[in-house]
Amino acid sequence: MSAELFLMMRFEILLIATALILLICSLIFRGDRRAKIIPIAITLFFINVIVGFLPIETGEMFGGMFRTSALNIFFKNILNAGVFIIFLQSAGWLGKNHNEFHYPAEYFLIIISSLVGMDFMISSGDFLMLFLGLELATIPIAALVASDIHKNKSAEGGVKLILSAALSSGILLFGISILYATTGTVYFNEIFKLVEYDKLQILSFIFIFTGIAFKISIVPFHLWTADVYEGAPVNITSYLSVISKASAVLILMIILYRVFGQIVYIWSAVIYVTAILTMTIGNLFAIRQKNLKRYLAFSSIAQAGFILLGVICGTAVGLSSVIYFLLIYIFSNLGAFGVVAIVSNATGKEEMDDYNGFYKTNPKLSFAMMLSLFSLAGIPPVAGFFGKFFLFTAAAKQGYYLLVFIAVVNATISLYYYLLIVKAMFINENENPIEKINSDFYAKAGLVLCVIGIIFIGFFGAIFDYINSISLTL
Amino acid sequence: MLESYIPIIIILIISVLFAVVNVNLSSLLGPSRPNKEKLSTYESGIEPVGTAHERFSVKFYMVAVLFILFDIEVVFLYPWAVSFIGLDQLKMMYSFISVSVFIIILLVGYIYVIRKGALNWD
Repeated sequence: MSAELFLMMRFEILLIATALILLICSLIFRGDRRAKIIPIAITLFFINVIVGFLPIETGEMFGGMFRTSALNIFFKNILNAGVFIIFLQSAGWLGKNHNEFHYPAEYFLIIISSLVGMDFMISSGDFLMLFLGLELATIPIAALVASDIHKNKSAEGGVKLILSAALSSGILLFGISILYATTGTVYFNEIFKLVEYDKLQILSFIFIFTGIAFKISIVPFHLWTADVYEGAPVNITSYLSVISKASAVLILMIILYRVFGQIVYIWSAVIYVTAILTMTIGNLFAIRQKNLKRYLAFSSIAQAGFILLGVICGTAVGLSSVIYFLLIYIFSNLGAFGVVAIVSNATGKEEMDDYNGFYKTNPKLSFAMMLSLFSLAGIPPVAGFFGKFFLFTAAAKQGYYLLVFIAVVNATISLYYYLLIVKAMFINENENPIEKINSDFYAKAGLVLCVIGIIFIGFFGAIFDYINSISLTL
Repeated sequence: MLESYIPIIIILIISVLFAVVNVNLSSLLGPSRPNKEKLSTYESGIEPVGTAHERFSVKFYMVAVLFILFDIEVVFLYPWAVSFIGLDQLKMMYSFISVSVFIIILLVGYIYVIRKGALNWD
């Protein structure tokens, strides 16, 4: 094997190199100079994002364990951009002097290593690589969830995450072992030919689906979500709800299409039921939430239900509409979390009532928040509308009219609670609203990126065309 | 497909039988004359002190985790060292560089561990 072949792993190698440089920097900048690592990390990661767009060879290596395709690369770029925005948003939180979390270098290191795991997971061509990547993606995050060491809720969230991750990994591994027992191979391409209407294989599908459903927090495997999201620091919550969820959705599609592609009849029934449950329960619980982090947690569960609408299609159009929706979802959810992070960082307030009269003191922040919420709800001018529209049309094309009807009803319900916050910010009166917040440069840059994404992705039809053209390379 | 797992089941049965039969045979056939010293906890010849239900310092876990990490490194190095001799000039260089990268990554981690004081006992 020649050395050029390793260039296919460019994303992973670059990320590991970045992590190594940061590790060395953390040894140089110690004590009070710790905060100097933040600009270095952000610059390095920015270079990563830029280099990611350079062309890259597609193909297989290690006997098919690792594969790159146009879609994988595009998705890795999306994840890179999302993590970059999260880094921008967390700079202010990490830079504060009297912060509970004193380890900025370790924060970047842990997130980067988790991202490496996701990249490997996305590129995997067999179940062993997939499992390895999944573990590397999940376990480091538990450390960050528990990093708010003076809060009991943070520790509780960390323990809950690691327990549910361990349980789901166990279930997933059991499914993989059953599949291996019936087919005698772990490679996706070979399993694809051997899967048929065999009872043991259907059982293994159910186990594997359950394991991944935990990561996407599909109802009824969502119970850990709200507590973990509430306990974790805001930036980690946004990482969990955006990056982690998006990569898990892609993995679900890879497994459904490339491994269980022969038993569409079975898995579309499973997804049909879980999609309805996820949308409805996520929406109904979101209405009752008062804490913004819990609220966004349930809203992200409901969004996962909408995503399943595209997954169920099993067609190229469905696939590309899911990727497109995920792209928009990353920007809109990061926008909402960005505002919550800025406010929580400056004042420590995370309740919905605290946002009453927010527009009077912070017009720009409340405008960004409004745009993100509109995009999440799917109100026409912003990108979120196009994302939902393509998902619904893809499902309707396959004849899932009842499902699309329920989804539309749910979208209307979600409109109510998304507008509740908009109402609180713009209409509700408050005697002592949150005072004017002067956010740092990085947080502003992150929000601007999100707003640009929300406004413009919807209008550039070329993006959807591009995704559509590469969607068959899954 | 499932028939190929029969040897594994046979091995399982044999190993369980082997353990159960041997342990029971030795207790059935051997003489049993217990006294106080024989029944007390085995502590390498030293008299046992207190119970084992205590809180352990987290440092033990740190050392254990670090040990596993660098132990795995050695595990990877053995097969490399064995297969290194048979290679030709170019492949030797190639494999030497790749293992150097692997060791450098772990070395940086090791320096990090020492500088952060993870091995300081006090």
